[in-house]
Amino acid sequence: MSTTFCSSVSMQATSLAATTRISFQKPALVSRTNLSFNLGRSIPTRLSVSCAAKPETVEKVSKIVKKQLSLKDDQKVVAETKFADLGADSLDTVEIVMGLEEEFDIEMAEEKAQKISTVEEAAELIEELVQAKK
Amino acid sequence: MAAPFTLRKIGVQPNSANLTEARRRVFDFFRAACRSIPTIMDIYNLQDVVAPSQLRFAISAQIRNNAHVTDPKVIDLLLFKGMEELTDIVDHAKQRHHIIGQYVVGEGLVQNTGSKDQGKSDFLKNFYTSNYF
Repeated sequence: MSTTFCSSVSMQATSLAATTRISFQKPALVSRTNLSFNLGRSIPTRLSVSCAAKPETVEKVSKIVKKQLSLKDDQKVVAETKFADLGADSLDTVEIVMGLEEEFDIEMAEEKAQKISTVEEAAELIEELVQAKK
Repeated sequence: MAAPFTLRKIGVQPNSANLTEARRRVFDFFRAACRSIPTIMDIYNLQDVVAPSQLRFAISAQIRNNAHVTDPKVIDLLLFKGMEELTDIVDHAKQRHHIIGQYVVGEGLVQNTGSKDQGKSDFLKNFYTSNYF
């Protein structure tokens, strides 16, 4: 039975038992403190959800975003900032993704890249790909 | 190190059915172009002249130039011409001074960085059509 989730949060479950349904109500930032999913039984201890991206990655992503959108250095760009709020249109988003691909030397699949809308999501996806490369 | 990106030579595709698909094709084209940038810099020895981000900006500027188009068929044709240009560049059918003149240098040699006439002046529009208005 596959896990279903409606946001692009990546979950690394080492081995999930069968018939486990995890559903998120809205694509919110999931940290270890506000996990809330409905399970019929207790959470198996093997399940590990790594959803917070490392600060250095977020920092690098913000730097690239600022450079791409020509923002001033004191503009606040945190993990939850949406690209659209910073004045980026869809082409800008694709360009930012390509810049990130070049910076971190990774290749993002098109479907995943389409869903990126915040700095946090980009950082998570990057870390996932960097981990997979090693 | 990611495998080097090679441009696949796809023939003419059928017309995109709606604007959404045309958008998707635009982004696919943009991604293919950006992924070919390392190859291009290698072929034409642009390492000291320009940074990859500048080339990305040049490509996106060309796309933004035509951002006001809404007809999917027109978009398809523009993409076809863009793809043709990209293929020529990657095949080394152009020369270094072409690339530098068309995509690197700013206002000096590039003629079409400005947006096309978007209806800013009614006077000019009437003027271009006839003498009497």
